[in-house]
Amino acid sequence: MSPFHFEHLVWHWPIAFYLFFAGVSGGAMFFAVLLKNFILRGDAYKSGFVQAACIVAPITVMAGLGILVTDLTKPLHFWKIMVFYNLTSVMSVGVIILCIYMVFMFLWIALVFRPVIDEWCRTRFPWVLKLSAFLSSSEATITGLLVILALALGAYTGFLLSALPGYPMLKNPVLPILFLLSALSSGAAASLLGGVLMKGNPDGREVHLIHKIEIPLILVEMVAIFTFFLGLVLTGGQAKVAAANALGFGFWGVVFWVGILLVGLSVPLAMNLFMTATAKRRFAYVAGTATCSLIGVILLRHFILYAGQMTIA
Amino acid sequence: MDKSKRQFLQGSGAMIAGISLYVLTNGEVAGEQQKSAVKYAMLHDENKCIGCNACADNCRKVNQVPEGVARLEIIRTGPFGEYPNQYYHFTRKSCEQCEDSPCVHVCPTGAAFKDENTGIVSVNSWKCVGCQYCIAACPYHIRFINPVTKAADKCDFCRETQLKQGKQPACVEACPTKALVFGDLNDPNSEIVKALEENPVYRNKRDLGTHPKLFRIQAKQGGINV
Ligand code: SF4
Ligand code: SF4
Ligand code: SF4
Repeated sequence: MSPFHFEHLVWHWPIAFYLFFAGVSGGAMFFAVLLKNFILRGDAYKSGFVQAACIVAPITVMAGLGILVTDLTKPLHFWKIMVFYNLTSVMSVGVIILCIYMVFMFLWIALVFRPVIDEWCRTRFPWVLKLSAFLSSSEATITGLLVILALALGAYTGFLLSALPGYPMLKNPVLPILFLLSALSSGAAASLLGGVLMKGNPDGREVHLIHKIEIPLILVEMVAIFTFFLGLVLTGGQAKVAAANALGFGFWGVVFWVGILLVGLSVPLAMNLFMTATAKRRFAYVAGTATCSLIGVILLRHFILYAGQMTIA
Repeated sequence: MDKSKRQFLQGSGAMIAGISLYVLTNGEVAGEQQKSAVKYAMLHDENKCIGCNACADNCRKVNQVPEGVARLEIIRTGPFGEYPNQYYHFTRKSCEQCEDSPCVHVCPTGAAFKDENTGIVSVNSWKCVGCQYCIAACPYHIRFINPVTKAADKCDFCRETQLKQGKQPACVEACPTKALVFGDLNDPNSEIVKALEENPVYRNKRDLGTHPKLFRIQAKQGGINV
Protein backbone atom coordinates (compact mmCIF):
# COMPACT_ATOMS: atom_id res chain seq x y z
CA MET A 1 0.00 0.00 0.00
CA SER A 2 1.56 3.30 -1.06
CA PRO A 3 1.06 6.17 1.40
CA PHE A 4 -0.50 8.46 -1.22
CA HIS A 5 -2.53 5.97 -3.24
CA PHE A 6 -4.78 3.36 -1.77
CA GLU A 7 -8.29 1.99 -2.06
CA HIS A 8 -11.07 4.22 -0.70
CA LEU A 9 -8.85 7.31 -0.86
CA VAL A 10 -11.13 10.11 -2.03
CA TRP A 11 -9.58 13.35 -0.88
CA HIS A 12 -5.96 14.03 -1.80
CA TRP A 13 -3.32 16.52 -0.67
CA PRO A 14 -4.97 19.66 -2.13
CA ILE A 15 -7.63 19.28 0.55
CA ALA A 16 -4.91 19.05 3.22
CA PHE A 17 -3.47 22.35 2.00
CA TYR A 18 -6.94 23.87 1.89
CA LEU A 19 -7.49 22.89 5.51
CA PHE A 20 -4.05 24.22 6.41
CA PHE A 21 -4.47 27.56 4.66
CA ALA A 22 -7.93 28.23 6.05
CA GLY A 23 -6.57 27.49 9.53
CA VAL A 24 -3.50 29.72 9.16
CA SER A 25 -5.67 32.60 8.03
CA GLY A 26 -8.12 32.29 10.91
CA GLY A 27 -5.29 31.82 13.40
CA ALA A 28 -3.31 34.79 12.12
CA MET A 29 -6.34 37.08 12.37
CA PHE A 30 -7.08 35.80 15.86
CA PHE A 31 -3.60 36.71 17.05
CA ALA A 32 -3.61 40.01 15.21
CA VAL A 33 -6.78 41.03 17.05
CA LEU A 34 -5.25 39.80 20.26
CA LEU A 35 -2.10 41.87 19.76
CA LYS A 36 -4.06 44.96 18.85
CA ASN A 37 -6.65 44.80 21.60
CA PHE A 38 -4.37 43.66 24.42
CA ILE A 39 -1.13 45.58 23.89
CA LEU A 40 -0.71 47.63 20.73
CA ARG A 41 -4.03 49.53 20.39
CA GLY A 42 -3.78 52.37 17.89
CA ASP A 43 -0.15 51.66 17.12
CA ALA A 44 -0.90 48.18 15.81
CA TYR A 45 -0.17 49.15 12.22
CA LYS A 46 3.46 49.91 13.13
CA SER A 47 4.11 46.38 14.40
CA GLY A 48 5.83 43.99 11.98
CA PHE A 49 3.87 41.13 13.50
CA VAL A 50 0.47 42.69 12.91
CA GLN A 51 1.58 43.69 9.41
CA ALA A 52 2.67 40.12 8.75
CA ALA A 53 -0.65 38.72 9.99
CA CYS A 54 -2.54 41.20 7.82
CA ILE A 55 -0.60 40.02 4.77
CA VAL A 56 -0.63 36.31 5.56
CA ALA A 57 -4.33 36.05 6.40
CA PRO A 58 -5.78 37.33 3.10
CA ILE A 59 -3.22 35.46 0.98
CA THR A 60 -3.76 32.13 2.71
CA VAL A 61 -7.54 32.30 2.80
CA MET A 62 -7.69 33.14 -0.89
CA ALA A 63 -5.12 30.47 -1.72
CA GLY A 64 -7.23 27.98 0.23
CA LEU A 65 -10.39 28.95 -1.59
CA GLY A 66 -8.50 28.78 -4.90
CA ILE A 67 -7.35 25.26 -4.12
CA LEU A 68 -10.86 24.21 -3.18
CA VAL A 69 -12.25 25.55 -6.44
CA THR A 70 -9.58 24.08 -8.72
CA ASP A 71 -9.95 20.72 -7.00
CA LEU A 72 -13.62 20.46 -8.05
CA THR A 73 -14.34 18.32 -11.08
CA LYS A 74 -16.38 21.27 -12.39
CA PRO A 75 -14.46 24.36 -11.19
CA LEU A 76 -16.46 26.75 -13.37
CA HIS A 77 -19.63 25.71 -11.57
CA PHE A 78 -18.29 26.90 -8.22
CA TRP A 79 -20.92 29.64 -8.00
CA LYS A 80 -23.53 26.94 -7.44
CA ILE A 81 -22.11 26.37 -3.96
CA MET A 82 -22.93 30.00 -3.16
CA VAL A 83 -26.38 29.94 -4.71
CA PHE A 84 -27.71 26.56 -3.58
CA TYR A 85 -26.59 26.19 -0.04
CA ASN A 86 -27.49 23.27 2.21
CA LEU A 87 -27.36 23.95 5.92
CA THR A 88 -26.80 20.31 6.89
CA SER A 89 -23.59 20.34 4.85
CA VAL A 90 -20.50 21.38 6.76
CA MET A 91 -18.88 22.36 3.48
CA SER A 92 -21.75 24.64 2.58
CA VAL A 93 -21.77 26.31 5.99
CA GLY A 94 -17.98 26.56 5.79
CA VAL A 95 -18.05 28.36 2.48
CA ILE A 96 -20.60 30.82 3.87
CA ILE A 97 -18.38 31.40 6.91
CA LEU A 98 -15.34 31.78 4.66
CA CYS A 99 -17.00 34.45 2.55
CA ILE A 100 -18.31 36.49 5.48
CA TYR A 101 -14.96 36.05 7.19
CA MET A 102 -13.18 37.58 4.20
CA VAL A 103 -15.40 40.65 4.33
CA PHE A 104 -14.73 41.27 8.01
CA MET A 105 -11.07 40.46 7.63
CA PHE A 106 -10.65 43.20 5.03
CA LEU A 107 -12.73 45.66 7.06
CA TRP A 108 -10.64 45.01 10.15
CA ILE A 109 -7.35 45.30 8.25
CA ALA A 110 -8.57 48.60 6.82
CA LEU A 111 -9.32 49.80 10.37
CA VAL A 112 -5.87 48.81 11.62
CA PHE A 113 -4.21 50.75 8.84
CA ARG A 114 -6.66 53.62 9.09
CA PRO A 115 -4.01 56.21 10.02
CA VAL A 116 -1.99 55.29 6.93
CA ILE A 117 -5.00 55.14 4.67
CA ASP A 118 -6.43 58.40 5.97
CA GLU A 119 -3.11 60.13 5.52
CA TRP A 120 -2.76 58.96 1.95
CA CYS A 121 -6.33 59.81 0.99
CA ARG A 122 -6.63 63.15 2.76
CA THR A 123 -5.82 65.23 -0.29
CA ARG A 124 -6.48 62.67 -3.00
CA PHE A 125 -9.82 61.08 -2.04
CA PRO A 126 -11.26 63.04 0.87
CA TRP A 127 -14.50 61.03 0.80
CA VAL A 128 -12.59 57.95 2.02
CA LEU A 129 -12.12 59.66 5.36
CA LYS A 130 -15.85 59.76 5.93
CA LEU A 131 -16.06 56.09 5.12
CA SER A 132 -13.25 55.17 7.49
CA ALA A 133 -14.74 57.29 10.24
CA PHE A 134 -17.99 55.42 9.81
CA LEU A 135 -16.20 52.04 9.92
CA SER A 136 -14.32 53.17 12.96
CA SER A 137 -17.56 53.80 14.81
CA SER A 138 -18.46 50.12 14.48
CA GLU A 139 -14.99 48.86 15.29
CA ALA A 140 -16.17 46.83 18.29
CA THR A 141 -18.74 44.96 16.22
CA ILE A 142 -16.32 44.29 13.39
CA THR A 143 -13.66 43.03 15.79
CA GLY A 144 -16.09 40.81 17.67
CA LEU A 145 -17.47 39.27 14.52
CA LEU A 146 -14.00 38.77 13.09
CA VAL A 147 -12.92 36.82 16.17
CA ILE A 148 -16.02 34.64 15.98
CA LEU A 149 -15.54 34.01 12.27
CA ALA A 150 -11.80 33.33 12.60
CA LEU A 151 -12.37 30.72 15.29
CA ALA A 152 -15.28 29.23 13.33
CA LEU A 153 -13.03 28.93 10.29
CA GLY A 154 -10.43 27.05 12.29
CA ALA A 155 -12.99 24.68 13.76
CA TYR A 156 -14.76 24.25 10.43
CA THR A 157 -11.73 22.56 8.87
CA GLY A 158 -12.09 19.85 11.51
CA PHE A 159 -15.88 19.54 11.25
CA LEU A 160 -15.47 19.07 7.50
CA LEU A 161 -13.68 15.77 8.06
CA SER A 162 -15.58 14.66 11.14
CA ALA A 163 -18.79 14.53 9.08
CA LEU A 164 -17.58 11.44 7.21
CA PRO A 165 -19.16 8.36 8.81
CA GLY A 166 -17.33 5.95 6.51
CA TYR A 167 -13.96 6.60 8.14
CA PRO A 168 -13.86 5.79 11.86
CA MET A 169 -10.72 7.82 12.52
CA LEU A 170 -12.22 10.98 11.04
CA LYS A 171 -15.67 10.62 12.57
CA ASN A 172 -14.23 11.78 15.84
CA PRO A 173 -15.60 14.56 18.05
CA VAL A 174 -12.11 15.63 19.13
CA LEU A 175 -11.04 16.39 15.56
CA PRO A 176 -12.58 19.90 15.31
CA ILE A 177 -10.99 20.89 18.62
CA LEU A 178 -7.63 19.51 17.54
CA PHE A 179 -7.82 21.34 14.23
CA LEU A 180 -8.90 24.58 15.89
CA LEU A 181 -5.97 24.43 18.30
CA SER A 182 -3.47 23.67 15.58
CA ALA A 183 -5.00 26.35 13.35
CA LEU A 184 -4.36 28.85 16.14
CA SER A 185 -0.77 27.73 16.58
CA SER A 186 -0.15 27.86 12.85
CA GLY A 187 -1.58 31.38 12.76
CA ALA A 188 0.67 32.40 15.65
CA ALA A 189 3.68 30.80 13.95
CA ALA A 190 2.94 32.47 10.63
CA SER A 191 2.63 35.88 12.31
CA LEU A 192 5.85 35.38 14.25
CA LEU A 193 7.80 34.18 11.23
CA GLY A 194 6.43 36.91 9.00
CA GLY A 195 6.90 39.46 11.76
CA VAL A 196 10.60 38.84 12.32
CA LEU A 197 11.14 38.67 8.56
CA MET A 198 9.50 42.09 8.31
CA LYS A 199 11.99 43.50 10.81
CA GLY A 200 9.77 43.09 13.85
CA ASN A 201 11.74 43.00 17.09
CA PRO A 202 12.26 39.32 18.07
CA ASP A 203 12.28 40.41 21.70
CA GLY A 204 9.27 42.70 21.34
CA ARG A 205 6.11 42.75 23.43
CA GLU A 206 4.23 40.97 20.66
CA VAL A 207 6.56 37.96 20.79
CA HIS A 208 6.29 37.84 24.58
CA LEU A 209 2.50 37.76 24.44
CA ILE A 210 2.32 35.15 21.68
CA HIS A 211 4.82 32.90 23.41
CA LYS A 212 2.88 33.17 26.64
CA ILE A 213 -0.18 31.81 24.82
CA GLU A 214 1.69 29.29 22.70
CA ILE A 215 3.03 27.25 25.59
CA PRO A 216 -0.37 26.29 27.03
CA LEU A 217 -1.69 25.98 23.46
CA ILE A 218 0.88 23.33 22.57
CA LEU A 219 0.23 21.47 25.82
CA VAL A 220 -3.52 21.41 25.21
CA GLU A 221 -2.87 20.31 21.63
CA MET A 222 -0.87 17.36 22.92
CA VAL A 223 -3.69 16.45 25.28
CA ALA A 224 -6.15 16.69 22.38
CA ILE A 225 -4.03 14.35 20.25
CA PHE A 226 -3.79 11.93 23.14
CA THR A 227 -7.58 12.07 23.69
CA PHE A 228 -8.13 11.67 19.97
CA PHE A 229 -6.26 8.37 19.77
CA LEU A 230 -7.21 7.06 23.19
CA GLY A 231 -10.84 7.63 22.19
CA LEU A 232 -10.30 5.55 19.06
CA VAL A 233 -8.67 2.72 20.98
CA LEU A 234 -11.40 2.65 23.63
CA THR A 235 -14.13 2.71 20.99
CA GLY A 236 -12.70 -0.54 19.69
CA GLY A 237 -13.61 -2.24 16.44
CA GLN A 238 -12.56 -0.45 13.28
CA ALA A 239 -11.74 2.71 15.24
CA LYS A 240 -9.05 0.79 17.10
CA VAL A 241 -7.77 -0.69 13.84
CA ALA A 242 -7.63 2.83 12.40
CA ALA A 243 -5.53 4.06 15.33
CA ALA A 244 -3.15 1.12 14.95
CA ASN A 245 -2.85 1.66 11.18
CA ALA A 246 -2.15 5.34 11.62
CA LEU A 247 0.37 5.18 14.46
CA GLY A 248 2.14 1.97 13.42
CA PHE A 249 5.44 1.59 11.64
CA GLY A 250 4.23 2.75 8.24
CA PHE A 251 5.01 5.98 6.44
CA TRP A 252 2.28 7.90 8.24
CA GLY A 253 3.38 6.53 11.60
CA VAL A 254 6.81 8.09 11.05
CA VAL A 255 5.20 11.34 9.96
CA PHE A 256 3.22 11.36 13.19
CA TRP A 257 5.96 10.50 15.66
CA VAL A 258 8.83 12.42 14.07
CA GLY A 259 7.15 15.15 12.04
CA ILE A 260 4.22 16.05 14.28
CA LEU A 261 5.05 15.05 17.83
CA LEU A 262 8.79 15.79 17.72
CA VAL A 263 9.35 18.59 15.18
CA GLY A 264 5.89 20.15 15.27
CA LEU A 265 5.13 20.09 18.99
CA SER A 266 8.01 19.05 21.26
CA VAL A 267 10.71 21.20 19.66
CA PRO A 268 8.57 24.37 19.66
CA LEU A 269 7.47 23.67 23.23
CA ALA A 270 11.05 23.25 24.39
CA MET A 271 12.19 26.33 22.48
CA ASN A 272 9.34 28.43 23.86
CA LEU A 273 10.13 27.35 27.40
CA PHE A 274 13.82 28.01 26.81
CA MET A 275 13.18 31.47 25.38
CA THR A 276 10.82 32.34 28.22
CA ALA A 277 13.20 31.08 30.90
CA THR A 278 16.37 32.68 29.56
CA ALA A 279 14.68 35.72 28.04
CA LYS A 280 16.92 35.19 25.02
CA ARG A 281 14.86 35.87 21.95
CA ARG A 282 16.87 36.14 18.79
CA PHE A 283 15.78 36.21 15.19
CA ALA A 284 17.00 32.66 14.58
CA TYR A 285 15.25 31.22 17.64
CA VAL A 286 11.90 32.83 16.91
CA ALA A 287 12.02 32.08 13.18
CA GLY A 288 13.23 28.50 13.70
CA THR A 289 10.56 27.72 16.28
CA ALA A 290 7.81 29.16 14.10
CA THR A 291 9.02 27.17 11.10
CA CYS A 292 8.91 23.96 13.12
CA SER A 293 5.33 24.70 14.22
CA LEU A 294 4.25 25.41 10.65
CA ILE A 295 5.82 22.19 9.36
CA GLY A 296 4.10 20.32 12.16
CA VAL A 297 0.69 21.71 11.27
CA ILE A 298 1.09 21.02 7.52
CA LEU A 299 2.07 17.45 8.38
CA LEU A 300 -0.81 17.08 10.82
CA ARG A 301 -3.33 18.03 8.12
CA HIS A 302 -1.83 15.51 5.70
CA PHE A 303 -1.52 12.83 8.33
CA ILE A 304 -5.12 13.12 9.50
CA LEU A 305 -6.44 13.29 5.94
CA TYR A 306 -4.51 10.32 4.55
CA ALA A 307 -4.26 8.10 7.62
CA GLY A 308 -7.93 8.84 8.27
CA GLN A 309 -8.96 7.45 4.92
CA MET A 310 -6.82 4.33 5.24
CA THR A 311 -9.28 2.51 7.47
CA ILE A 312 -12.97 2.22 6.65
CA ALA A 313 -15.94 1.44 8.87
CA MET B 1 -11.14 44.25 32.58
CA ASP B 2 -10.98 46.89 29.90
CA LYS B 3 -13.39 47.13 27.02
CA SER B 4 -11.35 45.73 24.14
CA LYS B 5 -10.31 42.65 26.08
CA ARG B 6 -13.87 42.01 27.10
CA GLN B 7 -15.06 42.25 23.50
CA PHE B 8 -12.45 39.74 22.49
CA LEU B 9 -13.52 37.21 25.09
CA GLN B 10 -17.19 37.75 24.35
CA GLY B 11 -16.52 37.01 20.69
CA SER B 12 -14.77 33.76 21.52
CA GLY B 13 -17.57 32.69 23.83
CA ALA B 14 -20.26 33.43 21.24
CA MET B 15 -18.40 31.30 18.70
CA ILE B 16 -18.35 28.27 20.97
CA ALA B 17 -22.05 28.67 21.75
CA GLY B 18 -22.82 29.05 18.05
CA ILE B 19 -21.00 25.87 17.07
CA SER B 20 -22.62 23.80 19.80
CA LEU B 21 -26.02 25.02 18.69
CA TYR B 22 -25.30 24.21 15.05
CA VAL B 23 -24.15 20.70 15.89
CA LEU B 24 -27.14 20.07 18.15
CA THR B 25 -29.78 21.20 15.66
CA ASN B 26 -28.15 19.33 12.80
CA GLY B 27 -28.03 16.16 14.85
CA GLU B 28 -31.80 16.33 15.08
CA VAL B 29 -32.33 16.97 11.40
CA ALA B 30 -30.08 14.06 10.53
CA GLY B 31 -32.00 11.65 12.75
CA GLU B 32 -35.33 12.19 11.02
CA GLN B 33 -36.87 9.59 8.78
CA GLN B 34 -38.85 10.73 5.87
CA LYS B 35 -42.49 9.81 5.37
CA SER B 36 -43.13 9.57 1.68
CA ALA B 37 -46.13 8.19 -0.17
CA VAL B 38 -44.01 5.55 -1.84
CA LYS B 39 -40.83 4.13 -0.38
CA TYR B 40 -38.90 2.07 -2.85
CA ALA B 41 -36.55 -0.69 -1.75
CA MET B 42 -34.74 -3.65 -3.26
CA LEU B 43 -33.99 -7.17 -2.17
CA HIS B 44 -31.11 -9.29 -3.46
CA ASP B 45 -31.44 -13.02 -2.82
CA GLU B 46 -27.85 -14.20 -2.64
CA ASN B 47 -29.01 -17.82 -2.73
CA LYS B 48 -30.53 -17.34 -6.15
CA CYS B 49 -27.72 -15.19 -7.56
CA ILE B 50 -25.44 -17.11 -9.93
CA GLY B 51 -23.02 -14.24 -10.57
CA CYS B 52 -23.81 -13.96 -14.28
CA ASN B 53 -23.48 -10.15 -14.30
CA ALA B 54 -26.57 -9.73 -16.47
CA CYS B 55 -27.84 -7.09 -14.03
CA ALA B 56 -24.65 -5.04 -14.14
CA ASP B 57 -24.45 -5.25 -17.93
CA ASN B 58 -28.05 -4.16 -18.41
CA CYS B 59 -27.61 -1.33 -15.90
CA ARG B 60 -24.66 -0.04 -17.89
CA LYS B 61 -26.61 -0.22 -21.13
CA VAL B 62 -29.87 1.32 -19.94
CA ASN B 63 -28.37 4.08 -17.80
CA GLN B 64 -25.52 4.77 -20.22
CA VAL B 65 -22.84 4.27 -17.59
CA PRO B 66 -19.38 4.85 -19.15
CA GLU B 67 -16.66 2.19 -19.06
CA GLY B 68 -14.34 2.34 -16.09
CA VAL B 69 -17.06 3.20 -13.58
CA ALA B 70 -20.15 1.26 -12.48
CA ARG B 71 -23.42 1.80 -10.67
CA LEU B 72 -23.63 -1.89 -9.90
CA GLU B 73 -21.02 -4.59 -9.40
CA ILE B 74 -21.40 -8.21 -8.39
CA ILE B 75 -18.67 -9.05 -5.91
CA ARG B 76 -17.53 -12.69 -5.89
CA THR B 77 -16.01 -14.36 -2.84
CA GLY B 78 -14.71 -17.89 -2.58
CA PRO B 79 -14.32 -20.57 -3.67
CA PHE B 80 -15.67 -22.29 -0.59
CA GLY B 81 -15.84 -26.04 0.01
CA GLU B 82 -13.84 -28.97 -1.35
CA TYR B 83 -13.38 -29.91 -4.97
CA PRO B 84 -15.61 -30.97 -6.79
CA ASN B 85 -18.29 -29.33 -4.63
CA GLN B 86 -16.86 -25.87 -4.76
CA TYR B 87 -19.03 -22.79 -4.89
CA TYR B 88 -18.81 -19.02 -4.79
CA HIS B 89 -20.78 -16.33 -3.04
CA PHE B 90 -22.08 -13.28 -4.82
CA THR B 91 -23.13 -10.00 -3.32
CA ARG B 92 -24.33 -6.78 -4.80
CA LYS B 93 -22.31 -3.56 -4.57
CA SER B 94 -24.47 -0.56 -5.36
CA CYS B 95 -26.12 2.35 -3.58
CA GLU B 96 -27.87 1.12 -0.44
CA GLN B 97 -30.50 3.87 -0.73
CA CYS B 98 -30.05 4.99 2.85
CA GLU B 99 -33.07 6.53 4.55
CA ASP B 100 -30.69 8.71 6.55
CA SER B 101 -28.18 9.34 3.83
CA PRO B 102 -24.77 10.82 4.64
CA CYS B 103 -24.29 11.79 0.99
CA VAL B 104 -27.38 14.03 1.14
CA HIS B 105 -26.37 15.63 4.44
CA VAL B 106 -22.90 16.65 3.26
CA CYS B 107 -23.65 17.85 -0.27
CA PRO B 108 -23.06 21.63 -0.29
CA THR B 109 -25.41 22.37 -3.18
CA GLY B 110 -28.21 19.89 -2.59
CA ALA B 111 -27.21 18.04 -5.77
CA ALA B 112 -27.29 14.82 -3.77
CA PHE B 113 -30.92 14.65 -2.72
CA LYS B 114 -33.67 12.31 -1.61
CA ASP B 115 -36.83 12.40 -3.68
CA GLU B 116 -39.74 13.30 -1.42
CA ASN B 117 -42.27 11.18 -3.26
CA THR B 118 -40.38 7.93 -3.65
CA GLY B 119 -37.63 8.04 -1.03
CA ILE B 120 -35.05 7.45 -3.76
CA VAL B 121 -31.64 8.98 -3.15
CA SER B 122 -30.48 10.50 -6.40
CA VAL B 123 -28.12 13.07 -7.95
CA ASN B 124 -28.99 16.24 -9.81
CA SER B 125 -25.96 16.28 -12.08
CA TRP B 126 -26.52 19.88 -13.12
CA LYS B 127 -26.32 21.14 -9.53
CA CYS B 128 -23.30 18.98 -8.72
CA VAL B 129 -19.99 20.86 -8.64
CA GLY B 130 -17.86 17.76 -8.18
CA CYS B 131 -16.49 18.49 -4.71
CA GLN B 132 -16.52 14.75 -3.97
CA TYR B 133 -17.67 15.33 -0.42
CA CYS B 134 -20.47 12.81 -0.92
CA ILE B 135 -18.04 10.24 -2.28
CA ALA B 136 -15.99 10.56 0.89
CA ALA B 137 -19.10 10.56 3.07
CA CYS B 138 -20.79 7.44 1.67
CA PRO B 139 -19.89 4.67 4.09
CA TYR B 140 -20.52 2.06 1.38
CA HIS B 141 -18.03 3.66 -1.02
CA ILE B 142 -20.21 3.23 -4.06
CA ARG B 143 -20.35 6.77 -5.45
CA PHE B 144 -18.11 7.88 -8.28
CA ILE B 145 -17.52 10.79 -10.62
CA ASN B 146 -19.06 10.11 -13.99
CA PRO B 147 -16.24 10.80 -16.49
CA VAL B 148 -18.71 12.15 -19.04
CA THR B 149 -20.88 14.46 -16.93
CA LYS B 150 -18.12 15.17 -14.34
CA ALA B 151 -20.86 14.91 -11.71
CA ALA B 152 -21.24 12.42 -8.87
CA ASP B 153 -23.17 9.35 -9.99
CA LYS B 154 -24.61 6.15 -8.53
CA CYS B 155 -27.59 3.79 -8.64
CA ASP B 156 -30.84 5.74 -8.48
CA PHE B 157 -33.16 2.72 -8.81
CA CYS B 158 -33.39 3.70 -12.50
CA ARG B 159 -35.41 6.75 -11.49
CA GLU B 160 -34.51 8.65 -14.66
CA THR B 161 -34.84 5.73 -17.06
CA GLN B 162 -36.93 2.63 -16.37
CA LEU B 163 -39.19 4.02 -13.63
CA LYS B 164 -40.14 6.98 -15.80
CA GLN B 165 -41.47 4.52 -18.35
CA GLY B 166 -43.33 2.57 -15.70
CA LYS B 167 -40.94 -0.38 -15.88
CA GLN B 168 -38.94 -2.27 -13.27
CA PRO B 169 -35.26 -1.28 -12.80
CA ALA B 170 -32.92 -2.58 -15.48
CA CYS B 171 -31.05 -4.93 -13.18
CA VAL B 172 -34.27 -6.50 -11.92
CA GLU B 173 -35.55 -7.03 -15.46
CA ALA B 174 -32.32 -8.62 -16.58
CA CYS B 175 -31.88 -11.14 -13.78
CA PRO B 176 -32.42 -14.69 -15.17
CA THR B 177 -32.98 -16.28 -11.74
CA LYS B 178 -35.29 -13.60 -10.31
CA ALA B 179 -32.82 -12.93 -7.53
CA LEU B 180 -33.78 -9.24 -7.45
CA VAL B 181 -37.08 -7.91 -6.14
CA PHE B 182 -37.98 -4.23 -6.32
CA GLY B 183 -41.03 -2.51 -4.89
CA ASP B 184 -42.79 -0.18 -2.48
CA LEU B 185 -42.30 -0.78 1.26
CA ASN B 186 -45.47 1.21 2.01
CA ASP B 187 -47.64 -1.17 -0.02
CA PRO B 188 -48.45 -4.23 2.13
CA ASN B 189 -49.39 -6.27 -0.95
CA SER B 190 -46.20 -5.62 -2.87
CA GLU B 191 -43.93 -8.49 -3.81
CA ILE B 192 -41.03 -7.01 -1.85
CA VAL B 193 -43.00 -6.65 1.41
CA LYS B 194 -44.07 -10.29 1.13
CA ALA B 195 -40.53 -11.43 0.38
CA LEU B 196 -39.19 -9.42 3.33
CA GLU B 197 -41.79 -10.94 5.64
CA GLU B 198 -41.02 -14.49 4.56
CA ASN B 199 -37.22 -14.42 4.62
CA PRO B 200 -34.51 -13.60 7.11
CA VAL B 201 -32.72 -10.66 5.60
CA TYR B 202 -29.70 -8.55 6.46
CA ARG B 203 -28.43 -5.12 5.54
CA ASN B 204 -24.89 -3.76 5.45
CA LYS B 205 -23.37 -1.61 8.20
CA ARG B 206 -26.65 -1.00 10.01
CA ASP B 207 -24.71 0.16 13.05
CA LEU B 208 -23.86 3.40 11.24
CA GLY B 209 -27.50 4.46 11.48
CA THR B 210 -27.93 4.96 7.75
CA HIS B 211 -31.07 2.76 7.50
CA PRO B 212 -30.25 1.24 4.11
CA LYS B 213 -33.13 0.09 1.87
CA LEU B 214 -31.13 -2.53 0.03
CA PHE B 215 -32.01 -5.81 1.73
CA ARG B 216 -30.16 -9.07 1.22
CA ILE B 217 -30.92 -12.72 1.80
CA GLN B 218 -27.73 -14.40 2.94
CA ALA B 219 -26.48 -17.40 0.98
CA LYS B 220 -26.84 -20.56 3.05
CA GLN B 221 -23.40 -22.07 2.95
CA GLY B 222 -20.24 -20.14 3.49
CA GLY B 223 -16.78 -20.16 4.88
CA ILE B 224 -16.35 -19.84 8.59
CA ASN B 225 -14.83 -16.50 9.30
CA VAL B 226 -14.49 -15.13 12.79
S1 SF4 C 1 -25.26 4.11 -0.03
FE1 SF4 C 1 -24.00 5.93 -0.18
S2 SF4 C 1 -24.74 6.97 -1.98
FE2 SF4 C 1 -26.31 5.50 -1.42
S3 SF4 C 1 -27.74 6.67 -0.13
FE3 SF4 C 1 -26.27 5.68 1.23
S4 SF4 C 1 -24.69 7.22 1.53
FE4 SF4 C 1 -25.85 7.85 -0.27
S1 SF4 D 1 -19.77 15.85 -5.64
FE1 SF4 D 1 -21.70 16.77 -6.33
S2 SF4 D 1 -23.30 15.51 -5.39
FE2 SF4 D 1 -21.40 15.08 -4.32
S3 SF4 D 1 -21.39 16.43 -2.56
FE3 SF4 D 1 -20.24 17.49 -4.18
S4 SF4 D 1 -21.79 18.73 -5.23
FE4 SF4 D 1 -22.92 17.21 -4.00
S1 SF4 E 1 -31.68 -0.06 -10.04
FE1 SF4 E 1 -31.07 0.74 -12.05
S2 SF4 E 1 -29.36 2.07 -11.58
FE2 SF4 E 1 -29.63 0.78 -9.80
S3 SF4 E 1 -28.25 -0.96 -10.14
FE3 SF4 E 1 -30.26 -1.55 -10.93
S4 SF4 E 1 -30.16 -1.03 -13.08
FE4 SF4 E 1 -28.49 0.08 -12.10
